[in-house]
Amino acid sequence: MNTAKRAWTDLIAVDALERNWVTRVPLGRRLLAVYDTPTGIFASLAFCNHGGADLCDGYFDGHVIECPLHQGAFDVRDGRPVCAPATSPMKVFETRVENGMVQVRV
Amino acid sequence: MANPIVTPLTQALDEGKLSREELKEFMRRSDGPALRRLVLWVGLLAFTTTLIALAWNSWLIWPAMLLQGTVLVHHFSLQHECVHYTAFRTRWLNDLVGQICGIIIMLPHRFFRYEHCDHHTYTQLHDEDPEMISMPTTIGEYLWYLSAVPYWRSKFTEVFRHATGRLSETEKKFIPSVEHKAVFMDARRMLAIYAAIFLGMALTGWWGLIWYWFIPMFLGEPVMRFVRMTEHVGRPTVPQMSENTRTNLVSAPWRFLCWNMNYHAEHHYVASVPFHALPRLHEKLKDHIHVERDGYLGAHRDILRQLFRREPAAVADRT
Repeated sequence: MNTAKRAWTDLIAVDALERNWVTRVPLGRRLLAVYDTPTGIFASLAFCNHGGADLCDGYFDGHVIECPLHQGAFDVRDGRPVCAPATSPMKVFETRVENGMVQVRV
Repeated sequence: MANPIVTPLTQALDEGKLSREELKEFMRRSDGPALRRLVLWVGLLAFTTTLIALAWNSWLIWPAMLLQGTVLVHHFSLQHECVHYTAFRTRWLNDLVGQICGIIIMLPHRFFRYEHCDHHTYTQLHDEDPEMISMPTTIGEYLWYLSAVPYWRSKFTEVFRHATGRLSETEKKFIPSVEHKAVFMDARRMLAIYAAIFLGMALTGWWGLIWYWFIPMFLGEPVMRFVRMTEHVGRPTVPQMSENTRTNLVSAPWRFLCWNMNYHAEHHYVASVPFHALPRLHEKLKDHIHVERDGYLGAHRDILRQLFRREPAAVADRT
């Protein structure tokens, strides 16, 4: 996958993120989940790839986001499914912070 | 923009029954409450086990075994909490304790997790909710269910089916194909553990576990069937969580045994909320759900009233 050609897109101010939690952020036609973790900021698509529920209403702890509907869980750093019924990785996006703004490559 | 599916939680948030900040507070997890309760739990098991030992040569062994069985079958409630990862904050503790509970009551943990997911998605919907207990149509059906005979027949059939590498058509709907082999292995492992236990008893000549574990569990299962019926049976078979689920206000000993799962409507609204926060969530949601103030007995009175009068499930009759 060639990400070099994709531009960084401003997403949300770091100050506007919910501390140590997940924040719901619309980006065009997409809805993203932005995670404030002990090791930095990560982003994924907001909807669970198992049942379609909004992960931003789920429980977040450390690096694990848990779906509010079935408690399937993903590691937000790489999208890896952590427990059933999640079995396939969720879509995550490269992120960085520039001048107090969270940016993503989508 | 695509929209997420509508869940009881999104409805509660959209309708202002719950704020996002309240949700975060309710979902907060820790290991302490469950570990403290587990200490009491083990103490209670030690007490009921002692009662059986003391009553060994007397008819009193039967009530003692019923008491032990009532505690044993409530491992279901703890396993259920572990299935949701809400018993402990530490994730592997939920897996470990859930697996142990599953062995105690013969309910493979992984299978239960997948089955329970569909129960939450399709709660109380005919042919879609895999855990649905149908409203009995005769007193005979009601008593037959409470005997736990159909439950055990179903469980034994289920475990042997999985151990022989097969799934029912319903199970294929909720277990992803990548997990089929793991489900089969879980069932085989569980049967192997039971076989090893029986072999061990045969080799040592000590058959105590029959009296301390297996007979009590079969004696106690009707109690669990009695409890499980109160959660949804007799409620309308509709998707609305405010209608299809019953919260039962029960006394402290029952709340202890069932890990607060008597707050069942609250649990279905927000399954990510741990057991110790459910009483507080109840205070927040009690005006939006169906509450049976007379507890398990009140729920069964409701079921029997519908059964004898052949009434449809009550709609919007919140207390």
